[in-house]
Amino acid sequence: MKFKDVEDVQEKLQKAEYITSREIATVVFLASATGKPILVEGPAGVGKTELAKAVARSLGLQLIRLQCYEGLDESKALYEWEYAKQLLYTQMVREKIGDVISGAHTLAEAVDRIASQEDAFFSERFIQPRPLLQAISSEETVVLLIDEVDKSDPEFEAFLLELLSDFQVSIPEIGTKKAKNIPFVVLTSNNYRDMSDALKRRCIHIYIDYPERELEMRIVTLKIPGITDRLATSLVDAVRNIRELDLKKRPCISETLDWARSLLALQVEDLTPDVLVTTLNMICKYKTDSDMVKVNAANLVNQAR
Amino acid sequence: MVKAILRFVACCRTAGYRVSTSEVLDCISQLELVDLLDEAGFRAVLRANFAKSRREQAHFDQLYHLFFHELRQDISLDELDPLSDKMDKVLEKLQEKANGNRSHRAILDFLSGNPLAFLEMMRRIQTEQIDMGQGRKFNLGPLSSRLEVMVQLNDVRDEIDRFLSDNPLHFAAGTRRDLASRFNEQLENAFALLLREPRPHNDGLRQVKTHDQYLRQLGERPFTSLTQKELEQMREIIDKLVRKLKDVVSRRYATNKRGILDVKKTLRRADRYQGVPMEIRFRKRPPRKGKIVTLCDISSSVWAAARFMLNILYSLQECFTKVNSFVFVSGLAEVTDIFETEEINHAIEKVLKEVAIDYQAPTDYGETLRHFKRDYMDLLNKKTTLIIIGDARSNYFHPEDRILGEMREKCRRLIWLNPEPEQIWNTGDSEMFSYKPHCHELRQCRNLNQLIDFVEELIL
Ligand SMILES: Nc1ncnc2c1ncn2[C@@H]1O[C@H](COP(=O)(O)OP(=O)(O)O)[C@@H](O)[C@H]1O
Ligand SMILES: [Mg+2]
Repeated sequence: MKFKDVEDVQEKLQKAEYITSREIATVVFLASATGKPILVEGPAGVGKTELAKAVARSLGLQLIRLQCYEGLDESKALYEWEYAKQLLYTQMVREKIGDVISGAHTLAEAVDRIASQEDAFFSERFIQPRPLLQAISSEETVVLLIDEVDKSDPEFEAFLLELLSDFQVSIPEIGTKKAKNIPFVVLTSNNYRDMSDALKRRCIHIYIDYPERELEMRIVTLKIPGITDRLATSLVDAVRNIRELDLKKRPCISETLDWARSLLALQVEDLTPDVLVTTLNMICKYKTDSDMVKVNAANLVNQAR
Repeated sequence: MVKAILRFVACCRTAGYRVSTSEVLDCISQLELVDLLDEAGFRAVLRANFAKSRREQAHFDQLYHLFFHELRQDISLDELDPLSDKMDKVLEKLQEKANGNRSHRAILDFLSGNPLAFLEMMRRIQTEQIDMGQGRKFNLGPLSSRLEVMVQLNDVRDEIDRFLSDNPLHFAAGTRRDLASRFNEQLENAFALLLREPRPHNDGLRQVKTHDQYLRQLGERPFTSLTQKELEQMREIIDKLVRKLKDVVSRRYATNKRGILDVKKTLRRADRYQGVPMEIRFRKRPPRKGKIVTLCDISSSVWAAARFMLNILYSLQECFTKVNSFVFVSGLAEVTDIFETEEINHAIEKVLKEVAIDYQAPTDYGETLRHFKRDYMDLLNKKTTLIIIGDARSNYFHPEDRILGEMREKCRRLIWLNPEPEQIWNTGDSEMFSYKPHCHELRQCRNLNQLIDFVEELIL
């Protein structure tokens, strides 16, 4: 399941309720044609995570998501032995173990005999696969979203790099597992720290900025079908003006959408400075930010006359 | 097309912009997948492969524009220039007469569509190490090299004008005017390259300007204007804050991180239940948050803020793997030992009294950065958070912002705390403007509320 060309990407993504610029569509197309991972950078809330989800929806592929955080390690990302289950099994098969070692003359012999049965306890039965292993062992092609990779530790990044270069992992007790189908990989980053050159070299890169006015209009009208053009326009303009302010957190697309929904719910027809002030908590998460918007409310709303 | 890409890559590398061979190959194979007549698509492919981060995009865009739009050559994406042949003729004549000056030759090459020598020159100017000889510490090295190139640019412009008016028979009057203006455009491009040093996009920069009001009054008083009594109050508040933070941290780890299975403990515990491992025990991860390296400007205005920060950081030392501290005026002195062995408040006093540092010297951030690069670069790795606290007032010495850029590349995060009110950053001898593109985070830090805001984010 692949995209035919750049236009095809744009159409399919739009059907999956995601609007892209041509540049983004081009990079998505290149990634799907070459099997290279995409590294998506951009401020919070511009649709980085959603891009991966939309690609999965539009190609009808399963999405497997690995959320990164400080301290994330292989056991959370790749696989983990289920010690508890192993221990439980040892208890349940205690008598069997008795059988195995019965007749052993020395302790060493008993240990050897148990060791020869070790495989039974280090088999896939006792492995808990985490997202990366799931993606590699999947029968179908999947979209693998490695979200907020900038939050992970450098060691994890190095490990990831290895995985992304050959899409295989070796589990010492079991052997090497190689992906049947190379997953469509999307890594996202909020720029909390810079990624290593090696990782960047492995990927193709796209930067998603706050959307152009026209693009944001299309997103709003797509996602909020009931909204009038007039309200959508004044709303998008106001959000764009608010983004210009010196805020702790600038409103992103999801805030535009939330705001639009609440204006519809309140049956607001015209956006006025008053309306802005009363619905402010949809756009600003910090009190200092709300205060700044309040003070400037009159200038932020372009009132149609 | 492949040839054009290779020439563009050569151009990038000459300008000091890194592109790896595997990226070039990727790019060339991907170009087969898109419609080459559509420039946006063409550019998107190049950008996706050659600029792998937002920071690099600014420099990439500049080179792309220069190469594919400003330079005249066969693969220019704009309309082919009908004057091209005539321009070559003029340049040929000038080249015959050219003197041996390197910049002069580079400019003529640039005009004929071969920018390599000129770009090489630009890169040399931008990265020029300053000559540590007598008195050349000021920002003059790069400036005088730039001036020299400017003079040459003007010379070339004059020569072209002279040539055109001395040889009226070569070209019709209209063509002459067109030629003059096309050459002028090209020279302007060269000028622009000379003046605009590419600064990386730094949208990722977290610039924190507002803060929560943890404490009224005392929390808002600038560190520089505290009375003795307030100083003591401040210490109590900080003690309380530190205790609270430690509490939060340990509680968080106790509930959140179950850690990994501790086989030994689990089996030992199993003895109580006839060998059945009823209770699974976990090994707790130590709650450490990486290494910290701090550079503190010790000139009096900044020290007022820096000492409080050091106070807090060292009280929370156990939260980090290691805290290395330096103070500087012009050059660095490491004070880690003092803080590790002495009680905090003693340590702070001791720094001012005992550290071998020339307090009379004018503050010099460039020298400080050079010193760091020479002796301490190894301290930085991808687990280090580098905190610089200072007003970036460097008495017009060379700021060496490139070194700060190198430091950023080595560490996990680079946070700059500036104790001056933001309105006066970038005024006078402040180099905040030069340093800002290299910071991950930039904060004003002149009172306790701002400091608390910062520390909470750092720890939690
Ligand atoms: N291009 C787009 N088309 C449609 N919806 C979008 C688009 N970009 C963002 N959104 C909306 O914005 C929300 C936030 O996007 P998200 O992917 O979570 O941001 P990020 O991961 O960049 O922080 C999504 O839930 C989605 O509804
Ligand atoms: Mg996201």
